[in-house]
Amino acid sequence: MAEELFKEFREHSVSEFFRKNAAMLGYTGKIRSLTTIVHEGVTNAIDAAEEAGVLPKVNVIIKRVNEEPEHFKIVIEDNAAGIPKEYIPNVFGKMLAGTKLHRYMQSRGQQGIGISGSVMYGQITSGKPTTVVTSTGNGEIVRADVMIDVDRNEGKILNEEKFKGKWQGTRVEIDAKDVSYMRSRYGPFNYLRMTAIANPHTHITFVEPDGTLTVFERGTDKVPERPKPMPLHPWGIMSDDLLVLAKHTKGRTVASFLSAELSRVSKRKAEEVCRLAGISPNKKPSELTWEEAERIVSAFKQVKLYAPPTSGLRPIGAVDIENGMRKILNPEFTYSITRPPKVYRGGLPFIVEVGIAYGGNAGKVAEGKGEGEEGENEVGMELVRFANRAPLIFDQGGCAITAAIRSIEWRRYGVDPATAPITLFVNVVSAYVPYTSAGKQSIADEPEVLNEIRAAVMEAARELRRFLYRRIRLKERQERAGIFEQYLPIIAKKAAVLAGVKEPDIKLLLKKVTGVEHAKEGEN
Amino acid sequence: MPKREKTRIKPEREHRQIASAKLTEMGREVVKDIQEVRPPKLRIPSRSTSNIIYDEANRYFVLGPRYGVRSAASIKQVKKFAQFLCTADFAKKLIESGKFATLREMYYTAEGWDAGPFSDQGESDMIIEDLEATFGLKRENLGLTPEEDGAAVFGKLMVNEDGVVIDATKAGRAGYTIPPTIDDVEFLKCKAKRVIAIETMGMYHRFVQEQAWKKFDALIVGLKGQAARATRRFLKRAHDELGLPIYLFTDGDPFGFHIAMVVISGSAKLAYINHELAVPDAQFLGVTASDIVDYKLPTDKLRELDVARLKQLMKDPRYNTEFWQSEIKKMLELGKKAEQQAFSKYGLSYVVKEYLPAKLGLKS
Repeated sequence: MAEELFKEFREHSVSEFFRKNAAMLGYTGKIRSLTTIVHEGVTNAIDAAEEAGVLPKVNVIIKRVNEEPEHFKIVIEDNAAGIPKEYIPNVFGKMLAGTKLHRYMQSRGQQGIGISGSVMYGQITSGKPTTVVTSTGNGEIVRADVMIDVDRNEGKILNEEKFKGKWQGTRVEIDAKDVSYMRSRYGPFNYLRMTAIANPHTHITFVEPDGTLTVFERGTDKVPERPKPMPLHPWGIMSDDLLVLAKHTKGRTVASFLSAELSRVSKRKAEEVCRLAGISPNKKPSELTWEEAERIVSAFKQVKLYAPPTSGLRPIGAVDIENGMRKILNPEFTYSITRPPKVYRGGLPFIVEVGIAYGGNAGKVAEGKGEGEEGENEVGMELVRFANRAPLIFDQGGCAITAAIRSIEWRRYGVDPATAPITLFVNVVSAYVPYTSAGKQSIADEPEVLNEIRAAVMEAARELRRFLYRRIRLKERQERAGIFEQYLPIIAKKAAVLAGVKEPDIKLLLKKVTGVEHAKEGEN
Repeated sequence: MPKREKTRIKPEREHRQIASAKLTEMGREVVKDIQEVRPPKLRIPSRSTSNIIYDEANRYFVLGPRYGVRSAASIKQVKKFAQFLCTADFAKKLIESGKFATLREMYYTAEGWDAGPFSDQGESDMIIEDLEATFGLKRENLGLTPEEDGAAVFGKLMVNEDGVVIDATKAGRAGYTIPPTIDDVEFLKCKAKRVIAIETMGMYHRFVQEQAWKKFDALIVGLKGQAARATRRFLKRAHDELGLPIYLFTDGDPFGFHIAMVVISGSAKLAYINHELAVPDAQFLGVTASDIVDYKLPTDKLRELDVARLKQLMKDPRYNTEFWQSEIKKMLELGKKAEQQAFSKYGLSYVVKEYLPAKLGLKS
């Protein structure tokens, strides 16, 4: 039964599927679509470099090919391991709905369907294939145009070329119409800026349609540890996940399948769950029906289970967040914190990280070159959201992070969110990030998650307040010292005249009176 | 009336020497503090209402024990401290050169001071008060004078002003004008036996015309309303130095009462130097509420302001005597007030011929 379901699924026209789901996957609106294309390419590039064990270097170029109608060319280049020729069609051409396999680990928010979606979008809007240039470093560079065969849901290579050259990496060129470029909150520039902050180990260069080159420099030379792949925990699993696992499992019975593939499930526990679900533990996994899968999922909620391990989580780390913010925003003050792991819904572990930057380029959404869709050129508190290091760009209003920030009384920390030059960086790390929708652009307001975000942000806000107060006090102290320097000499002079004696030296007294101030200044 | 005991008042030159010495001493202490790396401090008596106390025994307002400390180490006070010293320096120079400056003149001079100009006259006046209170000196002794002249004096008094001898019977009908620097004036000779201080100049001229100074052997003093500092000083010197009893004759209303009371018991505002200005033995003759009744004087109705003021006076410690309490009560019940010139009802000379002698207990 499950197999039939999948067959049916595969038989739907892929372009049909894409068109229906594009909006959910980020291809909504001209600016956002362009950003999503950039996002897919950059995400791939960074992931690939990390897997290859090198510090990612990503070049992004957006060229305007034509004005009327708008036609852009998006180029994304990386320094990773390159793609062997035979994998090119799969990587770029297969529209896998089942990339949920990546759920096994804390992934860089595998939003939507990956680069193949971008290829599809480019193909649909411009009619042109995507050009891929890649080399695994073996001296041979491959250049191929890839198109998606809509009927067969396959990638097809046209115009393949090979030539000699010393290079390693991948370069993707996508032509797209129905996109627009703007330096606004949802545009590619801001996306790259946020990505650079969250990934201080990356070096990103960006050339805009008008030729402006921006370099987002590396903040650290440390390659972050890859998160460990771990089996899914029953609390985070859904029916179709179960069926996919069932299809590929080596276990011969449902009971052994459950205990082998799922985290924290012993054979005995699996049998208990089967009994609760009214299923024979010895049933063949491939014969599981959708309805039975649903029963198993709800049965798991009724039994006692150990919470999933927290060791697999890989936050960015406070130091790296600060490095990232400093490099990109050049602020007067930064503070960041990685909180200890917490759980929500009884046992799903997550970590919240917060970074706060004040002054410098913080708080400016975009150095506006013109009015954006959302009325840009604002200076005020800017919220930059991340889930597992991937920026959450869209759906800001419905996100728990946004709700948490709004619920804080900023005035108590000496901050007016409307005008303060602050960039607030929040990263939620989990193998089970509670997204509000399949678009994975905003986080659902699970109470434990919301409270933890609030607590972390308030901690950062307290540090900011201390900095602000110290600044005011320093200014005051400097003024005060000036006052003594102005009036003590007068006192000395006049007193001497009254007394009819020589004017005394005030140096020591001046030092004593302002000395307290000078000493404290040294603290800063 | 028996002659009063004359109190020896220090001649002005001594006053100046004392003032100069005090300022010098202060300068020395500040210099010493600086040399010993100690923030210089000043103790300045507090002139807030909570520190103004009515001295029952002496019968005038004095300052209580409270004081404020002004320190050169305080960010808020160091500027005032410097201004204080600049003012002291200015005063000492005045004393040494024998010159006088008005408060207004000093305020303008301060524009050129190191410690900067004062933001307004009030600020500079405050510093002068600080100086007076701290050292127990009158500003006149520091070379600083108010702008107004004092009262007019007519009578058998001869004074010496910087070598010029003035006879107060020969200074014209307007009399001898008390200068702001009255402390500099030497009393040479006095043949008068008493002083009659009069509120209005109208009544003063009446007295002069009627030759009341001869009739009563008195110095007739026209106060011109509320008595100026110099006038109060004059009256005190006349009482203390010349042993003359002081009598006060004002309108029969709360403001007249107050004019008299300030001469007698001083003002709260000058509590810190009342001891140099108040004449507690001075006597108020009238016009009293009883006089209004007894003499059936033409009256005016008491206005709301008058009633409020009278009620205030009833609570004032200076008026806490049987005489005053009953008089104020009577006036409130009467609901009427009367001017001193109302006596003209009975003829122009009545006040000199009948009223005053009766009040003074003299034969008319």
